[in-house]
Amino acid sequence: MNVAGYTIMGIPNFVLLSIVIIAALVFFVNRVKYLYIILRIGKEDNRFKEIGKRIKITLKRILLQICVLKDVRVGDLAGLGHAMIFYGFLCFAFSYIFMFGRGFIPGLSFHLLGASFAGYFPLILDIAALMVMIAIVWALLRRYVVRPPRLETTREAVIILGIIFFLMVFHFLMEGFEINIDSHETATLAFVGAAFAGFFNNMGFEKTTQEALFIASWWIHVLLVLGFMVLIPYSKHLHLILAPFNIFFKSLGPKGALMPILNMEEAETFGVSNIEEFTWKQLLDLYTCAECGRCEINCPAHLSEKPLSPRHLIHDLKVHLLEKGSNLLRSKNGGDGKTETGEAAEGYEGKSLIGDVVSEDKIWSCVTCGSCMEQCPVSNEHVDKIVDMRRYLVLMESKFPSEVQAVFRNMENNSNPWGIGWATRGDWAKDLGVKIMSEDSNVDILYWVGCAGSFDERNKKISTSLVNIFNKAGVNFGILGAEEKCCGDSARRIGNEYLFQMLAAETIEILKNYNVKKIVTQCPHCFNTLKNEYPQFGGEFEVLHYTEFITELIAEGKLKLTKPINKTISYHDSCYLGRYNTIYDAPRKILKSIPGVKLVEMLRNKAKSICCGAGGGRMWMEEHLGKRINEMRLQDALDVNPDLISTVCPYCLTMFEDAIKEKDVQESLKSKDIAELVEEAME
Amino acid sequence: MNVVVCVKQVPDTESAIKVKPDGSGIIKDDLKYVMNPYDEYGIEEALRIKEKFGGVVTILCMGPGRAVETIRTGLAMGADQAVQLDDPAFEGGDAFATAKTLAEALKGIEYDLIFCGKQAIDDDLAQVGASLAELLRLPQVSLIQKLEIADDKKSATVHRQVEGGIEILKVSLPAVLTTQKGLNEPRYASLPGIMKAKKKPLDVKNLAALGLSSDSVGCAGSKSIITKYTPPPPRAAGKIIEGEGPQETVPKLVKLLREEAKMI
Ligand SMILES: Cc1cc2nc3c(=O)[nH]c(=O)nc-3n(C[C@H](O)[C@H](O)[C@H](O)COP(=O)(O)OP(=O)(O)OC[C@H]3O[C@@H](n4cnc5c(N)ncnc54)[C@H](O)[C@@H]3O)c2cc1C
Ligand code: SF4
Ligand code: SF4
Repeated sequence: MNVAGYTIMGIPNFVLLSIVIIAALVFFVNRVKYLYIILRIGKEDNRFKEIGKRIKITLKRILLQICVLKDVRVGDLAGLGHAMIFYGFLCFAFSYIFMFGRGFIPGLSFHLLGASFAGYFPLILDIAALMVMIAIVWALLRRYVVRPPRLETTREAVIILGIIFFLMVFHFLMEGFEINIDSHETATLAFVGAAFAGFFNNMGFEKTTQEALFIASWWIHVLLVLGFMVLIPYSKHLHLILAPFNIFFKSLGPKGALMPILNMEEAETFGVSNIEEFTWKQLLDLYTCAECGRCEINCPAHLSEKPLSPRHLIHDLKVHLLEKGSNLLRSKNGGDGKTETGEAAEGYEGKSLIGDVVSEDKIWSCVTCGSCMEQCPVSNEHVDKIVDMRRYLVLMESKFPSEVQAVFRNMENNSNPWGIGWATRGDWAKDLGVKIMSEDSNVDILYWVGCAGSFDERNKKISTSLVNIFNKAGVNFGILGAEEKCCGDSARRIGNEYLFQMLAAETIEILKNYNVKKIVTQCPHCFNTLKNEYPQFGGEFEVLHYTEFITELIAEGKLKLTKPINKTISYHDSCYLGRYNTIYDAPRKILKSIPGVKLVEMLRNKAKSICCGAGGGRMWMEEHLGKRINEMRLQDALDVNPDLISTVCPYCLTMFEDAIKEKDVQESLKSKDIAELVEEAME
Repeated sequence: MNVVVCVKQVPDTESAIKVKPDGSGIIKDDLKYVMNPYDEYGIEEALRIKEKFGGVVTILCMGPGRAVETIRTGLAMGADQAVQLDDPAFEGGDAFATAKTLAEALKGIEYDLIFCGKQAIDDDLAQVGASLAELLRLPQVSLIQKLEIADDKKSATVHRQVEGGIEILKVSLPAVLTTQKGLNEPRYASLPGIMKAKKKPLDVKNLAALGLSSDSVGCAGSKSIITKYTPPPPRAAGKIIEGEGPQETVPKLVKLLREEAKMI
């Protein structure tokens, strides 16, 4: 059927189509340009290095739909629905070249790409359309009947789903009419289209009527597609366009490393207190959010009824960005949007970022567990935004929960958060015959004990266990003793970048002086900091967590675990070992190599594990708001009824032991560090 | 309102203090030095006064080279300038010699109010504030926990905790006030504050600059001399009383309290 030449009230179709397309493009481009200009008020950040790697990640996450499929499970199959719509839509996007094309070029059809394509593609489209329709009905049912907590039903979502649904309906109608009009198409494989064709014939429609109805369906289809296109940049479906970009530009650095503040001596402001002080990439995150809520339902702060929800954080920042951004642009008389920070602040008298848009309580509720980032299908980076705001509060305003001041002081004066005399740091090892680097630095391994392992009574026992294990395996190791200092993890995550960089510089110098090559840490926080963050300041060392090291010792036969421990044991993933460093297997391997151990997994494990509540410097803050995170996590453990909960992090152990006491379940559940179990089991 | 805060650098309370074998002093090698915590209250209060009335906050510190770090901490909190008194002759002074040196330095500084800590946590003497006031012929109130400056800035109302209540006094200014916990919550220096502190004026004065003779300061000018230091006797280990229930343990405890501890 000649669509291009069809006339409506004497005007050829291609003319009308051109007008409509131009109109839609004007709306679309205008909005996109506007969003782009606002985005550019953000600070610079070079995310263009390693293009090849970026393309690969993007293709993998988008084309394979890993972004949404990775968390599909019984109970939340939404990812599958998303993939169905995505692939279905991809087929249609391709078919639209032809649909729009035939509005200009008479006779354009799938035959252009060969007879077999013309034969099979309609079948593929029909299947795709059915798939999409099923997924949409399902999506609507979820929103209105099932109502899972992570979804907030919005009119916008319903409109978009409705449009997609009707796109599919009109596809079938068009197909049906066309089969009847161009009789050579009757042998089509498009079974749904054929059914519609049969139906129309049975209704006794004339050919001319069918032609008119075909053109009508074609037009409605065209208008729906264009309408959809215009709607995208006005809605959360912006993610359709931006997700690939956001994933492309995602940080390629180690997941656990926060960005340093460079040139602290010269900078005048630190951290972020105005939305335009975020980088353009941080702002792109805001646009890209699909409001899917995956971050929220995995956020321990939200789950424990604290005011923070990562989804709302991103959304509130987006609303504020658009409001303030347009204000800034107006005050610049339609300038290019690249305002100086100082100038920018003048043009806007509205809400303050910290306080009005994001309350301080929200900023301090985060345990930096990284679950939000791990679960986010569009690779948003939440934690650096929260830490940037903390940096402003701490470095510029000296505003933080009051109990933190003593912690900073203690780290400054005694290089540990408890403030115990720094000279006594190595005292725990006094009677163990451990080499101290200052006395004998001829070692293969530097055992990095950490503050908890050095000063906390309970965790000192774990340090002792590790020493016994290393000795048993014949490892030539030493400790820094009084020369060891806090790695600075808590300081950095609380926002005190200055203190962190001071501690880091001092430690890096000491490690370099001893020409240290290989470090084994007890604490996952030290591990992450030494391994992923010290390289930012020139400290390049091979860093292992003790679980990795012990796995090596077992594999090499240097350590044999032969004494049985006949217990059901569950393992709690530490955020900084698991999510941030993807070490899920080493601790489990160790447990499994102990005879008699029966390992049971908690429902939320590995990438979905929930923080113990002590990360992000929360170890040092009171938990005034909501429920206790450690008790929430304890419940996860109690639900699978183990004899023992095992940990590999001093904070996790402390949090569990506190929760066990608080809930008075000492009788039924014990907690131990895996090092203690290894010590018990070794021959 | 110009305020002077006397600041002393002291060893951190967590530092392990070791007495020299001959008892002539303590071993200073491994010590970590901090600002006398009570002096932080003085700086904080001075800054609040400045925020309200304007003026200049000056830190006055007698101490060796290492004391600069402590002075910078105070400047980072927000004090405007500092005077450091550094001369080998000042060493080993008691509270009187210290107060005398400080008093001399204060002649060259404009002030409406002077803060001292209630005591320095190293010597724990708690005399410098009072001596200073005497030498300067100024009124003094010790251990203050609340301060209100009158609108005419000529007097102040201060609260000090006494047994069973609060004593409220009115004092004419200038005066020397010694600060006590509870007066305020000292601020944590902001990073711009730390950066600015590096450029704030720090005037170092020696004996000659103060125009004092060497026998009137330091050890030579002291009225008291420390003759010997001894470490506290090592604490005996605690005793756990074993036994089944209070019937068995209580009599044992009473016996020990009576015979060994001689407390009852
Ligand atoms: C609870 C208590 C009970 C006491 N009872 C008795 C008693 O019964 N009999 C008795 O004889 N004594 C007693 N004393 C000790 C006596 O009060 C002190 O000897 C006296 O007050 C000494 O002052 P000071 O040298 O300790 O001042 P310091 O503790 O040295 O300092 C107080 C303040 O002076 C300023 N200052 C000190 N040194 C410097 C410096 N180098 N540079 C700048 N500023 C400086 C600082 O502001 C400091 O905070 C007692 C003390 C206390 C705390
Ligand atoms: S890092 Fe953890 S606590 Fe913080 S917002 Fe993300 S999920 Fe919530
Ligand atoms: S930030 Fe990511 S996970 Fe959270 S709602 Fe937005 S798209 Fe979903």
